[in-house]
Amino acid sequence: MKVKRFLIAGLAALALTSSAWAEGDAAAGAAVFTQCSACHAVGADAQNSVGPVLNGIVGRPAGTYPSYRYSSAMRKSGLTWDEPTLRQYLKGPDKLVPGSKMVFPGLASDQDLGNLIAYLKQQQAE
Amino acid sequence: MTMATKLKPVDIAIVGLGWAGGIVAKELASTGLKIVAFERGAPRATNPDFMAPQVHDELRYSRRHELIQNLRKETLTFRNDPMQQALPMRQLGSFLPGEGVGGAGTHWSGLHWRWTEWEHKMYSGTVAKHGKNIIPADMNLQDWPTDYHELEPYYDKFEKVCGTSGKAGNLQGRKIDGGNIFEAPRSSEFPNPPLTQSHNMVLFEKAARNLGYHPFPVPASNASRAYVNPDGVALGQCHYCGFCTAYGCEANAKASPHFTVIPLAHKNPNFEARTNSYVMKVNLDSRRKRAVSVTYLDAGGREFEQPADLVILAAYVFGNVHLMLHSQIGKPYDFKRNSGVVGRNYAYQSMGGVGALFPKDTYFNPFMGSGALGTWIDDFNSDNPDFAKLGFIGGGGISSGSNSGAPISRHPTAPGSPRWGKGWKKAVVETYHRMTSVGNQGSVMSYRQNYLDLDPTYTDSFGRPMLRLTFDWQENEFRQMEFARDICANIAKEMGAEQVLSRRNRGRYSIVPYQTTHNTGGTVFGDDPRTSALNKYLQSWDVSNVFVVGSSAFPQNAGRNPTGPVGALAYRLADTLKERYLKRPERLVNV
Repeated sequence: MKVKRFLIAGLAALALTSSAWAEGDAAAGAAVFTQCSACHAVGADAQNSVGPVLNGIVGRPAGTYPSYRYSSAMRKSGLTWDEPTLRQYLKGPDKLVPGSKMVFPGLASDQDLGNLIAYLKQQQAE
Repeated sequence: MTMATKLKPVDIAIVGLGWAGGIVAKELASTGLKIVAFERGAPRATNPDFMAPQVHDELRYSRRHELIQNLRKETLTFRNDPMQQALPMRQLGSFLPGEGVGGAGTHWSGLHWRWTEWEHKMYSGTVAKHGKNIIPADMNLQDWPTDYHELEPYYDKFEKVCGTSGKAGNLQGRKIDGGNIFEAPRSSEFPNPPLTQSHNMVLFEKAARNLGYHPFPVPASNASRAYVNPDGVALGQCHYCGFCTAYGCEANAKASPHFTVIPLAHKNPNFEARTNSYVMKVNLDSRRKRAVSVTYLDAGGREFEQPADLVILAAYVFGNVHLMLHSQIGKPYDFKRNSGVVGRNYAYQSMGGVGALFPKDTYFNPFMGSGALGTWIDDFNSDNPDFAKLGFIGGGGISSGSNSGAPISRHPTAPGSPRWGKGWKKAVVETYHRMTSVGNQGSVMSYRQNYLDLDPTYTDSFGRPMLRLTFDWQENEFRQMEFARDICANIAKEMGAEQVLSRRNRGRYSIVPYQTTHNTGGTVFGDDPRTSALNKYLQSWDVSNVFVVGSSAFPQNAGRNPTGPVGALAYRLADTLKERYLKRPERLVNV
């Protein structure tokens, strides 16, 4: 009995954690995005700069934003930026896509990643 | 030659689009006045020009100098003293003037200093302490016609625009251990914390403290963290890639005009940049009291005349002085009579110190670093040395840093190693990780015999007489270098060096090996029109609608990098123009 109760409590804790991941705090994600904003823009007037515009990035096939010159590695990656893929990429861009133009050491914190992705989800495609 | 095509008049013509021109353009664009900036080089943007991995190309940038002045189009002639025949500089060496949008601000290292109170008042500060007799007869020691305190808000603004990383050592008069306690009082802390130290910097810091000195992190416009500046421009975090000096930055972590001030100027439709455009001359009216236009060549070599009400020269030192001389604005300096002002007070900087070889199994990882990553002491810089006792005026910053370990430039070997072949390769591998340096960046004073004028023999590809540089080291500077070298050697030993390698002996200045792109003077600003080309507002004494901004205005050079005061002067000039000159265009100082 004791064991069972413990297991249930454990599962509940896990569920809480994963739902915290899934939901993410978009407002906190906006602060994380300052680490991206030297290269990437979002919002109504966003332009490609060092990196491509990130409006509508969640769910977008990799290497497809109009007018941005991607590396051939990114164009040929065959990836789609669903949440798990983005999470993996942002932990170490050159590990998932060697030869990517994106020079970024990666985000270490799962919480930052969740919050950032929540923020990016809010950035609608034009 | 066919007649130049005359264009529609504009309000303001700016020559040169680096930090100085970019700042002035951005600040004045909001006035709505029609502004045209001329840049001799190409347009540049981080994407595509500085993208990784292509930008990490040592051969292209560090050896073939893609971001540097094209000597086939224009160069200068050089000699050590007025008795010699000067010859054209046909290969880049001693200094590397930038070319292209962003100018030297794209390829700089990012050492971002405020000069000290004394460094703006070298004459009066020295005389107050030691009397007039300490100044050698041939030294043209002069004050800035402004001071640190007037410039402080502009220094502060420029640091915030650049996201400079550092630690204050004098916050509103309060001395702070770990920062530079010799700096002049600053109104606020640096916008970003210091960069992460490399191993040799940790050793340097410890050794300097053991010896009773006051080490601090070099103020670096290489952002230590992601940062958004007050203009809303985002800078990325520096990732210590080691390709900084001589390169553009792919992370927008090294503050540069091409992604900060210049795009903001472009947001105003009244601003236009004409790239690949060489300004040949500023044209004056018949009384030679007023500039009426500039003549320039476009990328196709076609000649245009651009009328303008106000001309701002913001090119590199040599460009500013050359245009003033070739356009006959202000009296050219005459060495024989020690009279005239344009070309007077050219100065440079000395780069000395020692190499330090550490025991086997020391790993400095020199391939990691950033342009301005270093630990420094000012204990022997500015007017901290006792000039009377030591026999020289000036000082030097002493430091150890980690800014470039790329293999073509850096392949150290221990003394006595084979000079080529398998043995040499083995020696490089054994030495690469355990060699570092303790450097001295020494001030250079201005002298009667060091100057710029027009060459009587050689012309550039456009047919203009070349600028002629006459420069040599003087006794005062040798003494500073020798004094500092001994201190560098002591620090290296205290750091644990197994061998200390001395780098330089007394000898004439050579224009061949790279030393530093910290050239100064030639259009000095001052309070006396007999010893300065510009008044305190950077306005030509002779032609009141010509202003000149950049380190060509410095009366002599300090023992630290010039970009901080260049940026501060550019912001101050923009304020002068907006608040005074543009409201009432006239001579701002009457004597």
